[in-house]
Amino acid sequence: MSAPASGTRHALEVRGIAKSFQVGSETLDVLRGIDLAIPYGQPVALVGSSGAGKSTLLHIAGLLERPSAGSVRVDGVDGWNLSPDERAKVRNRKVGFVFQFYHLLPELSALENVLLPAMIAHSPGEYRAARAQLTEAALGLLARFGLQARTKHRPSQLSGGERQRVALARALIHDPPILIADEPTGNLDSATGERVLELLFDEQRTRHFAMLLVTHDAKLAARCPRTVTMRDGRIVGDTNGSGAA
Amino acid sequence: MYKLFLSWRYLTARRTNLIGIVGITVGVGALIMILSIMTGFLDEHRAAIRGGLSDLVITPIHLARSDRSVPPREPEALLEIVRADPRVAGAAPRLVWGGMISPRGAQTDLSEVYYSHPETGNVPVVQLIGIDVASEYQVANLREALARVSSDPASARHGVRDLDDPFAAPRDLDDDGIAYRGILVGKKLYDTFQLRVGDRVNVLTAVPDPRSGAVKSNNLIFTVCGAFKTGQSEIDSDIAYFDRRALAELIGNERSFSTVLVKLHDFERDGAATRADLEQRLDKARLIRGEGDEVSTWEDLRGSLIAAIENERILIGVMLALVLLVAGFTVFAILSMMVVEKRRDIGILSALGATRGGVLSTFLLIAFWDALVGAVSGAVLGVWLAVKIDPFERWLSATIGYQIWNREIYLFDTIPSRIVPIAVALIVLGAFACTLLFAAIPAVRAARLDPLEALRYE
Ligand SMILES: Nc1ncnc2c1ncn2[C@@H]1O[C@H](COP(=O)(O)OP(=O)(O)O)[C@@H](O)[C@H]1O
Ligand SMILES: [Mg+2]
Repeated sequence: MSAPASGTRHALEVRGIAKSFQVGSETLDVLRGIDLAIPYGQPVALVGSSGAGKSTLLHIAGLLERPSAGSVRVDGVDGWNLSPDERAKVRNRKVGFVFQFYHLLPELSALENVLLPAMIAHSPGEYRAARAQLTEAALGLLARFGLQARTKHRPSQLSGGERQRVALARALIHDPPILIADEPTGNLDSATGERVLELLFDEQRTRHFAMLLVTHDAKLAARCPRTVTMRDGRIVGDTNGSGAA
Repeated sequence: MYKLFLSWRYLTARRTNLIGIVGITVGVGALIMILSIMTGFLDEHRAAIRGGLSDLVITPIHLARSDRSVPPREPEALLEIVRADPRVAGAAPRLVWGGMISPRGAQTDLSEVYYSHPETGNVPVVQLIGIDVASEYQVANLREALARVSSDPASARHGVRDLDDPFAAPRDLDDDGIAYRGILVGKKLYDTFQLRVGDRVNVLTAVPDPRSGAVKSNNLIFTVCGAFKTGQSEIDSDIAYFDRRALAELIGNERSFSTVLVKLHDFERDGAATRADLEQRLDKARLIRGEGDEVSTWEDLRGSLIAAIENERILIGVMLALVLLVAGFTVFAILSMMVVEKRRDIGILSALGATRGGVLSTFLLIAFWDALVGAVSGAVLGVWLAVKIDPFERWLSATIGYQIWNREIYLFDTIPSRIVPIAVALIVLGAFACTLLFAAIPAVRAARLDPLEALRYE
């Protein structure tokens, strides 16, 4: 696990985040002041009705979408104060993404998809040097997720559950301090979703990365020691008494 | 690392990219082939424009003799200076005059077998050229032109007896008491007059008296020693060769030579410098007047036509370069489609930490592979076709049963083709530049894509 940057206990720290969209002549305030700090190693479930702004918060926290106001610290680094290229590097090294629709590259095999963040991180020379080691790590992840026979398959040859497991392996290849997942089981039947979650939490227990999981799934929320509830762009509930501030 | 990897993967995973590659291959290949053939044609054209011109032509102006008691000036002094130059491979004096030829004893038939010239009508005016055989052979292609007739079994009886001594009397010549003087006649002229080797022809000419201005006509009987064929119709229909002494005799020893043809070892390299040096030396020796127009390169003499050919070459190149635009546009279209198709991939890549520059490079690299594979295979194809165009055309003509290249209408019987390495390099570079320039548009569009917009869409 990545060493914490100096002076922080939080893998992810979101302060005063506001986000509004201009839709025609109207301004839509989707997030109205969000403060959320997730300590290293803590899994957090983010729940709330559809349209509450959960996905928008995840995108901002994952440094994919710029907030209208507020700051995001990932592993202690103020992500929105960086140059676009430096921010891309933080996304690459410190944030693992899992999406509802897997978002694997269709032309790449399962193994190549898992290695993609490493390919992005390294120059051709570096990659060649680290290739054996990276491949071994990727194959190890895939094997732990029960995909050892599937490494050469394209996403189109995999089931939904298998695809999500590949996406999970991809998110974890860099051993990031925080994993962000938007309804990771939303597109899977409950048994398959259950199996994916089993693997995710197994992995979390050994690696101790922090997680921010958006879910409608009560069973998933129940697995997390902390649940944050959103409504209309605000946090209205946080089971972690001190964590909401 | 992912840029190389992904661009190559996208390239190979998508069949449509093949269209772009094939487009570039065909464009580059066709361009190289066509340009090589056009260059070959223009070379031939240039050679045709050059005609019988040797590398340098020296035409001293003050040859006219006002005092008849003084013998005509001989070319030896001039030749000596010219031949002394190490860059000169050979020099030959020529006496050039105009005249008419009439087959002897056929005068009454002349109205039927009159000489018909496409430009001058029915006037049998012929250029009379007096030569020194040995030196002429060094500077001009007369020997080949004679051999073309005498070595071809079909026309051998119209050829000279001895190539080394073309003016030697033909075998079995009737001894009719006429002093023997030989004449070599262009094959077309020979055919027009229905001549045979051994025939006597009357050569008429007029010689002006430089003092009185009066013109007196001269004529002499010559014996046909054989025909020559250069393949260039003006020469074959307009020229008769004589021994220089015999022609001088015909014109009353008015002069003994009119020009000196010079052949250089390397005209491309030395032409201009040698011309200037010879002019200076001959002027110093008072063999020319030195007003700047007596020593010329053949290009000086055909300047505007040469310029036209160079211009044609450039024009053809520029117009054909449009082919590359088409190839570039194909890549543009394919890549644009791919960017739209790959919106989600682009979003995923951004989420995983790819920069905008990285996305841009990835798509530009696809075009680069297109250009690399396309241009290299196009260059190979084009050069191969340019080298093998003749057998290729024969094969194609035989296969489709239509003579694509009609060898009858050209003077050369293989398709001319010359590969210019610089042109090949320019075409390949042009294909690269064109493809990358066109590809830059969709690549920039890909890099500008909002990654979230791309991700939201499923
Ligand atoms: N790019 C956008 N432009 C306009 N409105 C948006 C945009 N993104 C999200 N929204 C709006 O913001 C609100 C919150 O969306 P979202 O964060 O996806 O909610 P959730 O994930 O909790 O369902 C919704 O009403 C949605 O329509
Ligand atoms: Mg959502």
